[in-house]
This record gives sequence, C-alpha cells and structure tokens, in this order.
Amino acid sequence: MRAAKYLVMVMALCWALPSFAQVPYERLLNSDAEPQNWLMYGGNYGSQRFSGLKQITPQNAANLRVAWVYQMRGGGVMESSPLIVDGIMYVTEPPSNVTALDARTGKPLWHYVPQVPRDFVPVGLFPTNRGVAILGDKLYLATIDDHLIALDAKSGVVRWNSLVADKADGYAITQAPLAINGKIVVGVGGGEAGAHGFLSCFDANTGKLLWQTYTVPRSASDPGADTWADGSWSNGGGTTWNTGSYDPELNLIYWGTGNPVPDWNGEGRMGDNLFTCSLIALDADTGKMKWYFQFSPHETHDWDSSEPPILFNASIDGKPRKLVALANRNAFYYVLDRTTGQFLTGVPFAKQTWAKGLDAKGRPIKRPAAEIEPSVQGTLVYPTLTGAINWTSPCYSPITGLFYVNARDGGAYYIKGERKFEKGNSNGVVGGGGGGSRPGPADETTTSIRALNATTGEKKWEYKMVGDSWTGTLVTAGGLVFSADAAGNFFALNADTGEPLWHLLLGSSVRSNPVSYSVDGKQYVVDSAGNSVFAFALP
Amino acid sequence: MNVIRWLYGAVPGIALGIVLMAPSATAQFGGPPAAHGPRPRTTPESIAAGKALFEGTCANCHGVDGSGANGPNIRDAGTRLGPEALYQTLHTGVLGSGMPSFASLGEEKLWQLVDYVSSFGQPTGAAASGDPQKGRAIYDANGCSSCHMIDGQGGSSGPDLSKVGTIRSAALLRKILLDPGGNLPTGDDLQERAQYPAYEMYRVVMKNGKELLGTRVNEDSFTMQLRDESGNIHSVQKFDVKEIERVPDKSFMPSYKGKLTDEQLNDLVAYLASLGGAK
Amino acid sequence: MKKTERIVCSFAVLALLLSLGLVCSAQDDTNVTYDEILHAASHPSEWLTYGGNYSSQRFSELKQIDKQNVNTLKLRWVYQLRRTGIFESSPIVVDGVMYLTEPPTTVTALDVHTGRPIWRWTADLPKNLLTIGLFPTNRGVAVLGDTVYVATIDAHLVALDAKTGAIRWSVEIGDNRKAVAITQAPLAINGKIIVGMGGGEGGLRGYIDAYDAKDGKRLWRLYTIPTKGEPGVETWEGDSYKYGGATTWNTGAYDPESNTLYWGTGNPAPDWNGDLRKGDNLYSCSLLAIDADTGKMKWYFQFSPHETHDWDSAEPPILFDAKIDGKMRKLVVQANRNAFYYVLDRETGQFLAGAAYAKETWAKGLDAKGRPIEMPNIDPTTQGNLLYPSITGSVNWTSSSYSPLTGLVYVDTREQGAYYFKGHPTMEPANPLDIGGGGGQRVIYGDDAYSAIRALESTTGKVRWQFKMVGDSWTGTLATAGGLVFCADSQGNFFALDANDGKPLWNIQLGNSVRANPITYAVDGKQYVEAAAGNAVSVFSLP
Repeated sequence: MRAAKYLVMVMALCWALPSFAQVPYERLLNSDAEPQNWLMYGGNYGSQRFSGLKQITPQNAANLRVAWVYQMRGGGVMESSPLIVDGIMYVTEPPSNVTALDARTGKPLWHYVPQVPRDFVPVGLFPTNRGVAILGDKLYLATIDDHLIALDAKSGVVRWNSLVADKADGYAITQAPLAINGKIVVGVGGGEAGAHGFLSCFDANTGKLLWQTYTVPRSASDPGADTWADGSWSNGGGTTWNTGSYDPELNLIYWGTGNPVPDWNGEGRMGDNLFTCSLIALDADTGKMKWYFQFSPHETHDWDSSEPPILFNASIDGKPRKLVALANRNAFYYVLDRTTGQFLTGVPFAKQTWAKGLDAKGRPIKRPAAEIEPSVQGTLVYPTLTGAINWTSPCYSPITGLFYVNARDGGAYYIKGERKFEKGNSNGVVGGGGGGSRPGPADETTTSIRALNATTGEKKWEYKMVGDSWTGTLVTAGGLVFSADAAGNFFALNADTGEPLWHLLLGSSVRSNPVSYSVDGKQYVVDSAGNSVFAFALP
Repeated sequence: MNVIRWLYGAVPGIALGIVLMAPSATAQFGGPPAAHGPRPRTTPESIAAGKALFEGTCANCHGVDGSGANGPNIRDAGTRLGPEALYQTLHTGVLGSGMPSFASLGEEKLWQLVDYVSSFGQPTGAAASGDPQKGRAIYDANGCSSCHMIDGQGGSSGPDLSKVGTIRSAALLRKILLDPGGNLPTGDDLQERAQYPAYEMYRVVMKNGKELLGTRVNEDSFTMQLRDESGNIHSVQKFDVKEIERVPDKSFMPSYKGKLTDEQLNDLVAYLASLGGAK
Repeated sequence: MKKTERIVCSFAVLALLLSLGLVCSAQDDTNVTYDEILHAASHPSEWLTYGGNYSSQRFSELKQIDKQNVNTLKLRWVYQLRRTGIFESSPIVVDGVMYLTEPPTTVTALDVHTGRPIWRWTADLPKNLLTIGLFPTNRGVAVLGDTVYVATIDAHLVALDAKTGAIRWSVEIGDNRKAVAITQAPLAINGKIIVGMGGGEGGLRGYIDAYDAKDGKRLWRLYTIPTKGEPGVETWEGDSYKYGGATTWNTGAYDPESNTLYWGTGNPAPDWNGDLRKGDNLYSCSLLAIDADTGKMKWYFQFSPHETHDWDSAEPPILFDAKIDGKMRKLVVQANRNAFYYVLDRETGQFLAGAAYAKETWAKGLDAKGRPIEMPNIDPTTQGNLLYPSITGSVNWTSSSYSPLTGLVYVDTREQGAYYFKGHPTMEPANPLDIGGGGGQRVIYGDDAYSAIRALESTTGKVRWQFKMVGDSWTGTLATAGGLVFCADSQGNFFALDANDGKPLWNIQLGNSVRANPITYAVDGKQYVEAAAGNAVSVFSLP
C-alpha cells in the first residue's frame, strides 16, 4: 500500500474533457433532475439508489456488454460506490485513495493518495473506503486514520485537512461523508475497539468543526446514561460508520448507530444501552437529537443498525406520510414516521430466531436468553454475525413502490466473550471483548435479492443466489434491479418480477453498491469486482 | 536478463509518465521478510494468550476456532506454513486479500498468535490406538489408492490424503470410514464462502433429458461444475437444467462398516492419522 | 510443418464435430497425447503448448472471428487472481479446461465454459526466496497425458494431476539459494519435459534439462557454458565461465521430424562490464539446437558475441518452412532483443538473412555469417553511453507470431534508447545487491520512445507495416486464420489488427496493461480470444 507503488498520473488528459461545472448545494438538492450524474453516496438525499435512466430495459438488458474496465494498482478490498459528475467518475481505492476517471473510457485522470500510517490496523473492520462526497468544487474524503480531507475536484490537490477523531482511541473511517448546505457530515467506526460513537459536522469551506453529537453517554448526567449499568457507557460503542440520509425540508439528518461494547457479552452493561443500535434524527444546523428509535435494545450479537436509512413518502392507511425505512442487520424491516420517529411497521425480511416479533412500539419481543445469548460453547442463532444485511445499500423505486434488499439467510454459533472490556486497546487485542461466532451449519447461508412492499415489508418476489453475496442493489427507471452474487456474477433482474435477464461473471466477488450514469446519451451501469471497476452499456 | 532493469526507469515519456513500481533487487512479495528475535518457547500460557488474542483479533474473519467465517478456514495454517511463514503472514498481511498487517501487535503477541494457530490441526496419530504399519497394509489391500493419493501415488477421484492426519481427527476418520456420505469433508478453497461440504453429491436432470450424477466441485448462481465417478468434470449452465437435486448422505466412497474388523479399522485410522505432520 | 502438410480442419466441420449437447463435458479423460501436440494445428479448438504448437508460431487456424465481425467482440467472462502480482501467464486450453498460472507459482484450472475454478494448486515457497533480476511470476504450464507440469519460482518441476491438481511428484531443477529461479512454461515432448532456468544476474552457469514425464527422473542436462577442457571455454577469460550466466529462461521450440529442440540463451554475466570476460562468451546470447534424446548440442548460432547490454537471446524462436531463392528451406527465425531479425537454416544453423527491425545504433549491420559488425565504443561507460535499443531490448520475453497465410512475423517492438552505465567487472554470485554486477541504464524519455506492432517479411525481416502504440507494450502477438493479429498496448487497450495491413479493427479498455501472450481456442463451436490484463483474465467471443 506504499504510495510509491501507486500510479502517479500526469493530468494532461484533463484538457480533453468537458469543462468542469461546480456542484452547488442546489444540484444536490435536485439530484433526481439530473439522472445522468450520481452526485452522492446514496444517489439522492433519501439514499434511494434509484436511477432515473431508462435506456437499458428488460427488453434489451441481454445485450449489455463491458464498455471498459479500470483496475486499481494496489491490493485490498474494493467497496467503493463512485460519484459521477459531468463525465468524470470519482472512485476510492483501499485504504483511502481517490481516483478520478474519464467516465467514457475508464482512463485515470488523477490519483490522490493520503499518507496513512503503514502499520495502522483498524479493529473489527477492513481498511477500505466506500466513497467520497462532492460540494461546490471540492471532493470530501474521510480516511481510515480519521482525517476529513477536502480535495480540489479538478486536480485532487488538498484544500484542507481536518482531524475527525484520534485513531489511538480506536476510531477508523471507511464511509463516504454526506454533503449538505455548506456542511460536511461524517461519522466514525471502531466500536470493537471501544470507540465512542459520534457524528461530526464541518464547514465545507474551511474544515472548521461546527458541531459534534455523541451517540453514547460520556458522563453519568448525559441522556441515556441510566440505560448502562454500573457506568458501562464508558466502554463506548454506538459508532456511526455508514453514510446516512438527509431531509432538506425537515432539516434532519438520519444516521444509524452501531452495537454496544463489548459485543458478545452484555452482562456488564445491563440496560438498553442507548443510543446504540438505533436510528437517530439530528437537526442539521445544531446536531441536536430530534428523536431516536432503538431497534435492538441491549444488543449482544454485533447487529449494528448502521444500514442506510431510505427516505420516501407514501400513503399509509390513506394518509400521506413522510417515512424512513431501514432493513436492519437483525433481520427486521422497519418503517418509521421520519418527522417523529414513530414506529409504523416492522416485519422480518430474512430468517431470524432471536425474537418472537415486535411489539406495538417496534421493540423486539426476545426469545429466552438461554436460546439466544452467546455462550461459551456457542449458541446457534439466526441471522449470522454479519447479519441479514450489513453495510451494503438496499434501494427503493418510486415507480414500483418496492424496497430491494440483498438479504442473507443463515445462522451462526455465537460465542460469549469477556465481560470486562479492555477499553482503548487499539491494537485489536480483545476487540469487542473477545468472543464472536463460528459458522452455523455448513453451506446453509444463502443470499437473495428480495423485493418488499416498501410500506408493509411484505415480500413481493425474491431471487435466490448461491453463496454469501456482499453487493448492494440499484434500481432504475428502466425497470431493472442490478446486483451480484458471491462468485462475481453481476446481473440484471426485472424490477417487477425478479426474473433474471442478464449476467456476466466478473471473476471475483462484487463487494460494493452498483450505480448508473450516462455520458453523451449512453447509459452505463458500473460496479466493482475484486480489484476492478467494470462499466456496462448497450452496444 | 529479464525485466527488472526496465523498472529502474525505462518509462516512456510519452506514456503519461507512469512509475510502476519502486525498484527492488530481490522482489519478495510484500517486501523483505520482517526481522525478529528468536521464537519464544511455546507454553500452555503462550497458547492461552494467543487464544485470547485470536478471539479478539482474528475470530471475526476466521471463526473462533479457525474454521473460517468471512475469511478462510486456517485450521491447517500451522502445518501448511510453519511458524516462520505464519509469523511473516501475520506481520505483513496478505496483499490483495482482506488480511491486514498485524505488525503493530508487536513481536511477543505475534508469536503468541503463532503458538495458538499452530495448535490447530496437529497430527492426531498419537490419539489413535491402532498400528499404522498394519493400517498401511489394510489401505493397500482394500484398493483405497485407486481413488486416493498419498504423496503422489494413487488415484485422484477422491481427496488427496497426503496430509489428512493434520486436518482430521482420528475419531472423525473412523466415522468417515464407517459412513462416508454422512461425514463429508468441508471445503474452503474454491467457492466464495467460508466453508461448504465438499464431495456433496448432486443429481442434475437437463432439459434435454440427460442425467448427471456427480459431486459438486463448484457452483454459483448460474453454473455448476460436477465431477462424475470417473473423475471427469461436467460444466452445467443452470438455464439448461430442469432439476437439480442434492443427494444427501451419499458418497462415491463405499462404507467399510462390517467389511473391516474393529481392530483393522483402528489400524487403518492410525495409519491415516499419521499422514502429513508438521514439517 | 509445411502448410500443405497441415490437416486443416475448417471451422464449419469442426463445429459439426463438436458436441452441441447442453451438458458440456469439460474434461473427458484429459489425456493430451504427444501425437495431439504434434498435430496441434489440426486441433485449433485447443491451445496445447505454450507457443500454440511445437513451432512456437502462435498462429491459430480458427477463423470464426474475422475482419468483418471482430468489432462485435464481447467480453464473456473474467477470472481475477486471488492475489495481486505480475501476471504473465499464457494458458493451455484442453478438453474444456483452461490451465493458467498465477504469481508467484499457483496453477489454476478453470471450467472453460464458465470461467469458474475447478482446482487450484499453490507451491510452498521459501520465505527467503531469491529472485535476482526477475519478478516472481510464472508464464504457464505444459500438459502431457493426464498431467500438468509447472516449473516453480524456487526452481522445482512439479507434476500435478490434471483432474484435481493433486501433486504427483516434485523435483529440484536448481538451487534457489544460488539464485536459480524459473518463470517459464516447460515444454512437453514425447515422454519428456524440457525446462530451462533463469537467474543469470545472480552469477551462475546456465543449463537446460530434460525430465522423464512419468517420474521426474532427470534424463539429461546441457550446460550452456563449457567447462574446463571443453571446446568453447577459451571464449571466456580466466575463471569467468564459472558464473557466466547464459541462462535458458524462456520456452523454446521443437522440430519432431529431426527431434531437435531450439532454445535461446541469456546474456553473459556480469552484464554491463565485459572487461574480465574477454572473448565471445559462448554460448551466451545464442540459439542452441539440441538433440532431444541425448541433450547433445547439434549446432549453435551466437547473435551477440561478448554481449555487454543485457540483450539476452531468450526470445522464442519460430520454426517454419519457406522458399528462399526458389528453394524450400527449413527455417528458424528470431526477432532478437538486440534489434536484429535473424533467419537461419534450422538443420545446420546456417545464417541466411538478417536485418534490423527496430532502431539500433550499436552495429553497422551483420556480416555474411550473421555476426554483427559492431560500431566503435559501444560498451557501457561510467558516464553513460547512449545506445539503441534500451536494456529491455527491441523485444523481451513476449512471443512473436507467424502466420503461414500472410508469411509475416508479427513482433511487439520497442523503440527506445538508453544511456548504458558500466558495472564492476567481478560479481558476487547470489548476492541480490550485486545484480548483474551493477551498472545498468537510464532510458531516454520523449516522443521517440514508443512501441509498435511490426509485421516483418518472414524470410527477409523487411518491415511490411507497423501499428504504433502509446507507451511501452509488453504483450505478445497472436495471429489467426481469420486474418487478424491480436495484441495490447501498455495503457490497457486490447485490440485486433488486420493481419495484412495493420489497420486497427477493434479495441477494449481492460484497465491495466496486458503483460502476457494472448491465445485463442473454441468451445462448442464458438471461438474465444483470451487476454490477461493486470489482475484479470478476460475472454472474448462474438455475441
């Protein structure tokens, strides 16, 4: 991962490309009006990952072919969801590098490689990066060693560099930041090392910290401290390691939080452990918490609630509602009122054996502890430690009204760890308090693309895959859902029926979210497999 | 001779000025081996310390017992790599995989991890009560080598047994001999998953009526590769398939239940358990 | 090997012969007989040896993909390496299975219908592996009978079961602690596996070996440098023959009729200072004709006597028969790293023709016997001496191809000069810090450095056409009966040219440079072209 090993590109090609337009907040606000671009991690502020492009349809998808390939030069796991802005693609490479590509040809224009300490080992996560944000003429990159860096979007030179957190406390960042009006919002990872979760907001022009809101109490007088027995809030957790959503009208930021610490032994932290495993709604100007909803109180299986929340409006019981939906790692699909946080619906979307169901307020009715709590010899519980879904994004189509999720069905034997947690040990020793899981019955874990009625969670169709897929989904106005299986077969499904229409083996697993864009009237779908980015288009 | 000189600077000016790689005289993968002091003696304490480290640091990917989760099964890593290479792998990571460098743990803790990982999959010959010499004769007399290979000798339609003593316990070997279909080995090499039953038998009926019976070599959402009884590979496109049916608890290997006496079985197990062993 | 002797199986007939059943039997008793390899040209649906056939022509009779339809080529599947590295493998395709190698030494068998792996074998390598002057990679396997043969980077020859990858036997070819390292594909002939070795920059004495395909027993070894008492040792000053290099690091060719192997040899060592190894330094920088049964040298031809620029002659020799001065001749040709193209009589080694095919400033030309007429003052100096070509040469390890249809040899040519710097006259063997005795080059940057596919008239070396590329290409060429030449540039573009005039007909961006020789094969009546770019193998066919 040495910088010296990386390609250093002369930017001569820049000249040949269309003149660079700025991306003011207004463009982000109206991102749906320019489907040729993909302006933020989730596609729009609602994280819907819906593309308005419709050149590729169920009728012609079988003709899709590879238009170009870009291969990264280093090793590592590529999980980046690129941005495409006016013909230029910004993709990130592990651990925290940014590459600008000509979106027509895949040819690199520039690379930015931050100085990341070579021996830094984040705890409980892979050193990778999932994408950048753009606002004005700057790109925003959060690095694995906790810097937020503003880059000139034309050249990749650094405009400013602010510290988000101290890696010595176990913090590490892999997520794409979220750009709103003049501000950059970014969360942190590192819960297994005892990092205290927070969300920070920086001035987009200067890199000055505007506000910072913690998700777990830091003193006995902080809200929620009474939900942690014996001051166990000091262990930390509740990290904010995946990109959230934003409602400009309500001026609220929606962000999921991670597990409490230690992960697999809750004996020393009795109580609900607020605000871990929750969705929190923060005022974008002040960072004040408007409401929270906790999915998994007193969580002991590492089932973070960091899954991207998807915002959409729909009628429920004949009444138009502003909604936020989240397919949770704990195997339940939740629909909440996004103004108030009120629970509206919740049903399992994958196999689960830990709860009898949800009560009227959306709180899980857990099965007896002996059946579900991690034990020394191992307790078989569904879903697996990696959950019914993990960090990959589901998508929502306003055309079909369906929520598409890559769902994992499988169980694991959960092993109990140390009750006492060695806080701040960033060497990874006894990360998460030890314990963890071993695989459940062999070969049982499968993944499926499931289409859920977005307001009820009812399954409309499913497409079963072989193996353990780690790919997000993309839905297009053309009526297609794109995703991939564990072997690296990238495929297109009919968004209405789930019927497979086309696939191509990319030779390594696809561990990222697909996106779509167009250049010169040609629609492309892009995703990365292994160490390569593949762009697909019609002939 | 070869190409390395070119990398000192034979960069075409016209080619956008690409610098491919830093010059290095000896091209090791992942840089030169990490220097370290002598390996401390393995003790029950060092293994226990390694176990704690492993559960905190490695178990998320490799499973708490090394049998794999997100990452591969590494139960035979100790015998396969040996302590030095294991140390280097931990120290350097594996380029191109999700395995990072754990250099920051420091030498002492790295050796504790080496001790713990090496404690997996030790040859289990000592635990078997039979006579390996006699067992070998039983192996030969029963034609095991027509399907299995040991140190390059024998057939290849069944698993290579050259190191079977390091990856299977004597008890499991015995169970396999009595009920091969019910005790299929797990594989972790080819498929994009932690582990799966290898040599699992499938019956596939094609749309054109053709039928195939074989063990699954590989499978994804659209294709399947089967190995028939003679060891030939068949490539199957699932779009052309009418029916895929797993045949549970079956194996091409016959059961030796009732065919060998208890004593013979013990001897054969003892022989198999003696195979492999740490280098 | 004459064209008239080929059993040319037209593609239509071939398609009929192939089973069109829905189940593709990927591997019906893999059993590549010597006879099949002998007549590789009549099995164009397979790619049976490193060079495509024993003549190393890298020409395929397949013609489904042609000049008219090549622009509709479509990517069919991709296989990505499990570890990143320098990927230079040229696969073998036989009975529905593709055998390729991954760096440093892993053999992978893929279901050629789907690209899905069937088995994988990885060599256990010493952690202190010594690779002096070369990258730890591998360029391919040989297949004979039901066995796959691979030479490992730590200099072992390993026999693997073709169906499962289980190891049959492994023998040591050389001592890696003394810098012997192997990247080449072995060559399988009748019951024997022929393999050379590399590591000349580490100060050793080159050789080439033959092993019994059944049990790995060494049948013969031919040293490429004579020892005391043998003829030719007088071409080495003092003791310099003891560590003189002349390795055999690339795969050669074979003429079954005369039972002769043709193998190129590497540079003398130390590379850039010849002061203490005065003389011609036989048989470095030569082509050797070797009796395949005994390992005895039949003849040699030295391209670059007393070489001081690292211009190995390891480039794959190509065999074909053609008329010269109205007389049918059995020929061996080589586009040499030293920028000259050579045509020799392969029965006698007699020099017939030679011409520069790339810019060179070190020789006025070749004399009647093919020996270079050197310019004055061409040795490296401490200040740096500007010469063409550069150290990596006008062509390096990548293969050229020959089309019997056009009579042209297609060479991925490098045009580049360099300042040559003198090293020290003695070298310390197996010392990785004393690579080739020190010294080396500083290349010339600028617009006069480029690569080009050049089509040479095969009996004269005259350049018929060229296709210029941006950057420094390290790809071999593939010629097909469809009238196409496939190659790639350093920028990741894989492309097809018209074999007659070099006109580009199709290209695709693969995201990283293609550093391996492309091949072609057919499955169920469909022709595929394979290219290994960066970290990935990609195969293409018509829609």
